Amino acid sequence: MNKKEKIWGTIILIIVISCYVIPYTIFQHVTKWYGSFLVWTVLAIIAILINVKLTEAWGDKE
Amino acid sequence: MNVGLIWTIIALYVLFGIIIAWLSRTGKQQSMASYFIGDRKLNGFISAMSYSATTFSAFMLVGLAGLTYNGGIGAYGFEIIYIVGVSLVAIFGPRFWLVGKKYGYVTPSEMLGDRYQNKAVAIVSAVSSCLFLIPYSAVQLTGIGYLLQGVTGNAISHTTGVLIATVLALVFTYIAGIRSVAWTDALQSIVMIISSTIVVLLLIQHLGGFQSFADAIEANDPQAYTVPGNGFFDFWTFLGLTIPWFFFSISNPQVSQRLYMPASLRSMRHMLLGFLVFGLIYTFVSVVWGFSASILYPNLDNPDMATPTLLSSDIIPPILGVLVMVGIMAAAISTIDSILLTLSSLFSRDIYANMKKGTTDRKQLAVGKIVIPIIAILAYLFAQLQLDLIAVLSVSSSAGLIVVVPAIIGTFFWKKGTAAGVISSIVISGLLVIYIEITGGLLFGLKSGIWGLAVAFLVFVTVSLATKAPEQKAEEFLHYIKSHMKKTS
Repeated sequence: MNKKEKIWGTIILIIVISCYVIPYTIFQHVTKWYGSFLVWTVLAIIAILINVKLTEAWGDKE
Repeated sequence: MNVGLIWTIIALYVLFGIIIAWLSRTGKQQSMASYFIGDRKLNGFISAMSYSATTFSAFMLVGLAGLTYNGGIGAYGFEIIYIVGVSLVAIFGPRFWLVGKKYGYVTPSEMLGDRYQNKAVAIVSAVSSCLFLIPYSAVQLTGIGYLLQGVTGNAISHTTGVLIATVLALVFTYIAGIRSVAWTDALQSIVMIISSTIVVLLLIQHLGGFQSFADAIEANDPQAYTVPGNGFFDFWTFLGLTIPWFFFSISNPQVSQRLYMPASLRSMRHMLLGFLVFGLIYTFVSVVWGFSASILYPNLDNPDMATPTLLSSDIIPPILGVLVMVGIMAAAISTIDSILLTLSSLFSRDIYANMKKGTTDRKQLAVGKIVIPIIAILAYLFAQLQLDLIAVLSVSSSAGLIVVVPAIIGTFFWKKGTAAGVISSIVISGLLVIYIEITGGLLFGLKSGIWGLAVAFLVFVTVSLATKAPEQKAEEFLHYIKSHMKKTS
C-alpha cells in the first residue's frame, strides 16, 4: 500500500471501530434520533468523503 | 391493491426492460470477456447504477425494513457498516482492475488460481461461491414471492412471483450478457431510488413531519433508537451480522467481478462514489420505511410484511405503491441476473476449463450459457422451500463467502501465501460455516461469519507458512501492482 492508502485506510478503520463502539457505549441509553442514528449517519458521510479523497488521482489511463 | 394495475405495471416493466436490454447490445458478444465483463469497457455511471442494483436487492426494502421493524436502529448500523466496508473497493478495486487487464482475468477465482499457481485453487473457490450464492439467489426470489403475495392479498401467489422473477432474470441475462444486465440494472436503480424516496417523503408527511415522525418512534418504543434496543441486536449478534457484510465487496464474486469491468480507474471511481451515495440514501429510505410500519402497524406477525403492508395502505397512492412494488421485484431480479452471470462464468472458466484440457474461449462461453438456466432452476427450487426471515438467510450466504477473504488479501499483500493455504482455508472454514448454520447458527455463542473469517485466516497463514509459496509469480504480480499504484497516489 502507498502512503496515502495507509493514512486514509487507518482513518477508515477508526471509523469502522467507532461504528461499533460509540452506539454500544456512550449512546446505549440515548433514546433520541440524535443518538446512534445520527452517529452512524455522520460516520458514513465521513467515510464517503474519505473515499472521495482516496480516489481523487484515479485517472483515465491507469 | 388493484391486481389489474399490478399486472399492467409488470407488463410495462418487462417491455421497457427488454427494449433497454436489446439496445444495450454492441458487437457480437462472442468471447468470455465480452459476454461476462463487457470487454472491460463499462462507463462510470452505468457501473455505479449497476453495482448498486446488484448489491441492493429485495433485501433492502423488504428485509432491512423488516429488521428495523423488528429490532430498531441496529438495522441501520448494520447496513452502515456494510457501506463503510465498501471503502475496501478504494484499496482492492484498482488492484483487481490492474491485474485483470494485464493477465486477462474474467473471474476472481481465475485470479486466485493464477496468482497461487494452482488450478485447484480456482476450482475450489468457484465451487464454494456456487454453494453459497445459489441460496442467496433463492433469498431474492423468496423476497419477490413475499412481496407480490402480500401486496395483492394472495391474488398473485408466492410461486407465481418467484416464477416471474426467475424467467425475467434469465431473459435479461441472455439478451446481451453483462451489458443487458448492467443497462437494465441502471434503469431499475434510477426508478427505484426516485420512487422509494417519494414514498418516504409521503410517509413522513403523513406522520406530521420529521420531528413528529422522530417523536412517534420514541413514543412507540424508546429502545428503538438504541442498540441492543429490545435485545434483538445484542453486541455479538450485531458483530456476527456485520462482519460478513463488511467484507461483502471483496468476498462476493458477483460484485468483486465488477472490479474488472470499468473502462478506466476514473470510471471505477465514479462507480464507487456513485454507489456510496446511492447506498446511504437507500439505507436511510429502507430504515424510515421500517420505522413507519412499526408506528402505523405495530402488530404484524411477520416483519417481512412491513413493506408490503405499507405499500398497500391508503397513505401511498396506488400507482406509486405498485410502481415501487414492481421496482422491488426488479431490484431482486437485478441481483439474481448478476449472480447467474457470475456463477456461470465461474463454472465455465474455473471449473469446466480447468478440468477439461484444451477448451477454447468460445467453448467456455457456450458452456457458460448452458449453465445459466440450470443455476436459475436450482435457485427457484430453493426458493420454494420458503425459509424464514429473509435477512438472516442472506447473511448466512455472506458468512459462507467470507472464507475467501484471507486468500484475496494474500493475493495482493502477502508473498508467502500458498495454494495449499488457500484450499485448506476455504474448505475447512467453509465446512465449519455450514456446520454452524445447520446446527442452529451459533457456536459457543458466536455466529458463523465470525468463525468463518477467524478460522480461514488462521488456517491460511499456518498452512502457507508450512508450504512453499510461488515466489516468482508473487514477485512479478506484486511488483506490477506496486509500480502502477504509485501513479494513483
